Amino acid sequence: MVRAARHQAAARALIMLRVEVSKQLGELAIEAAFESAGLVTGLFGASGAGKTSLINMIAGLSRPDRGIIAIDGEVLDDTKGRVHVPAHRRRIGYVFQDMRLFPHLDVRQNLDYGRRMNRLTEDPAQRARVTELLDIGHLLDRRPGRLSGGERQRVALGRALLARPRLLLLDEPLGSLDEDRKAEILPYLRRLRDEAMIPMVYVSHDADEMRQLATQVVVLRRGRVNAFGGAEVLPAAL
Amino acid sequence: MVSLARVLAAFALLCGWAFSPAAAEDSNLVVFAAASMKNALDDVDAAYTAKTGVKIAASYAASSTLAKQIEQGAPADVFVSADTDWMDYATAKKAIKDATRVNLLGNSIVLVAPKDSKTAEVAIGPGFDLAKLAGDGKIATGDVTSVPVGKYAEAALEKLGAWQAAAPKFAMAESVRAALALVARNEAVLGIVYSTDAKVEPGVKIVGTFPADSHPPIVYPVAATVTAKPGAADYLAFLRTSAAKAIFERYGFKFLVSPTT
Amino acid sequence: MFEITPTEWTAIALSLRVATVATLVATPIGIALAWLLARREFWGKSALDAAIHLPLVLPPVVTGYLLLLTFGRRGLIGGWLADHLGIVFAFRWTGAALACGVMSFPLLVRPIRLSIEAVDRRLEQAAETLGAEPWRVFATITLPLALPGVLAGMVLGFAKAIGEFGATITFVSNIPGETQTISSAIYSLIQTPDGDTAALRLVSVSVVMAMAALVGSEWFARRATKRLHGH
Repeated sequence: MVRAARHQAAARALIMLRVEVSKQLGELAIEAAFESAGLVTGLFGASGAGKTSLINMIAGLSRPDRGIIAIDGEVLDDTKGRVHVPAHRRRIGYVFQDMRLFPHLDVRQNLDYGRRMNRLTEDPAQRARVTELLDIGHLLDRRPGRLSGGERQRVALGRALLARPRLLLLDEPLGSLDEDRKAEILPYLRRLRDEAMIPMVYVSHDADEMRQLATQVVVLRRGRVNAFGGAEVLPAAL
Repeated sequence: MVSLARVLAAFALLCGWAFSPAAAEDSNLVVFAAASMKNALDDVDAAYTAKTGVKIAASYAASSTLAKQIEQGAPADVFVSADTDWMDYATAKKAIKDATRVNLLGNSIVLVAPKDSKTAEVAIGPGFDLAKLAGDGKIATGDVTSVPVGKYAEAALEKLGAWQAAAPKFAMAESVRAALALVARNEAVLGIVYSTDAKVEPGVKIVGTFPADSHPPIVYPVAATVTAKPGAADYLAFLRTSAAKAIFERYGFKFLVSPTT
Repeated sequence: MFEITPTEWTAIALSLRVATVATLVATPIGIALAWLLARREFWGKSALDAAIHLPLVLPPVVTGYLLLLTFGRRGLIGGWLADHLGIVFAFRWTGAALACGVMSFPLLVRPIRLSIEAVDRRLEQAAETLGAEPWRVFATITLPLALPGVLAGMVLGFAKAIGEFGATITFVSNIPGETQTISSAIYSLIQTPDGDTAALRLVSVSVVMAMAALVGSEWFARRATKRLHGH
């Protein structure tokens, strides 16, 4: 209970994410610096711009060649000071584009995974809130193999949320879905933003999606930050 | 999904069964005996078990193999060797209780052929041409560098002047019983084994007997090892009784000591 | 003709016990090494890989002799174990289990390594982001998903352990009731006049056990795979 309240308070206090990194990935040289303090920070750019590499570094799944990543003053990565907090200790949730639900566990067990790994107490009220928010209550006994694409993405969202992260990363969550599915999930994401009160970094190459969700946008082009601001930095609506 | 708890429980049960102390009781004796002793000693051991209830686990192999295993710490209580060399070897390695050593049995070596072979009986004496008799085939016996029967065979053939010519035709087996099996299965046209082996193998026939003076006397010493259990003494005593003597002689061994009752 | 004698039963029971112990002990070690080879890079990795596969290419007698030199009563490790812990391997069923475990180890490790390599590392990454420490990622994600391979490796190893001969007879010889496994018993019987019938009996038992192990594992592995994919 106390934890959830702390999280809410933190979100309301708008967590400050500071990123200042360089990384060479094959042909792509990533050189990005930004500070975000919004509810939903969008990472916008064409494919290959380095968006996924960037959030992988924020999540701790890869390490920058040089630079600093910090959340609310807590240093997660500092190449000069040789600090690297491993991913499992960052309390940063990640919703992958390919969902990555655990095939050998049913939906209920997938959802509960983060709570167990973080050794958090059970919170049936929160569980009910999230399953209701994402409309997955009727899927609890199913295995991921038996879910549709849209259902899987919602379960992936729920799984990340129920680990009670202090920051949620979403990598093109609508990327692998068709138009109908996208239209189906977008409202859930808006509800997520408005009701879950967890700061998010949202990656997408779709300006319309971004416009509907992000409060701040970082535009990436070929590994570098091209622009930073509100929705006005996005290319005009079609 | 198979619960982890059930898997671990099954694992624990299996471990319990697998690691429980071995079934062999402490009073059982382990006897390492020359391969040629197998049939006779099995019967003697059965008689001993019937009389005393003590079970005997007998491991049969070439005396050379057994002596080296004893040297390496094999848990034998009694060692029966087919020649004195290997008993001396084990004694030199401080593995034998010398005071218990007795020359128990004698034997003779014979030339055998598969039972359906056309080879006729020969008289084995000086000038005996083993190579010619073997023709294109192989002569099976124990390894002449280590196995007792092979050593006796080479000694006899050297004395008779037949070794040089015949040596290339030899198929060296790791024990006399392995050599015997080669002949019984027609893989070798001839073999040199103990007369006691020929007696128990219906698949071979004796085509010649080596004169006793062509080789060192064949003596089977028996002794207790330094790690022998207390019951070994009683077993060794049993081997010298007339009951045991009757069994050994039935199989064709010579009994070299005076029997006790 | 089909009466199995007490000596034969002893050999069968001993083989089962030796092979079971060998497999049970070797499996956790095999899983650990398979994971190391599948997921980690380190100096000496190919040497480790080669060492693990050595029993496959060395003559079994050589392996048995090396075991004797290392774990025998006067061996480097065996001597210490015997003097200080009272643990003896040479010429004991425990030594037979050691020999069988060593000989079957490469066959155990290979399928496990392959199945760990086949586990999608992206799932492991997802688990990390959900707060799982590396060992918990292994226990809750990697191992369950690699289970079919683990089972296959265990059964292959078990079957090899049941049939092992060369290293066993060199290291622990052929003592009925203690180290005479089915293979050694058959070996003795084929050198015994009139032993052929008994030898054939034991051969049939070996074949039946091997078939049962292989069929059982197939079934097990298929069930595990089905469960994985939620059917």
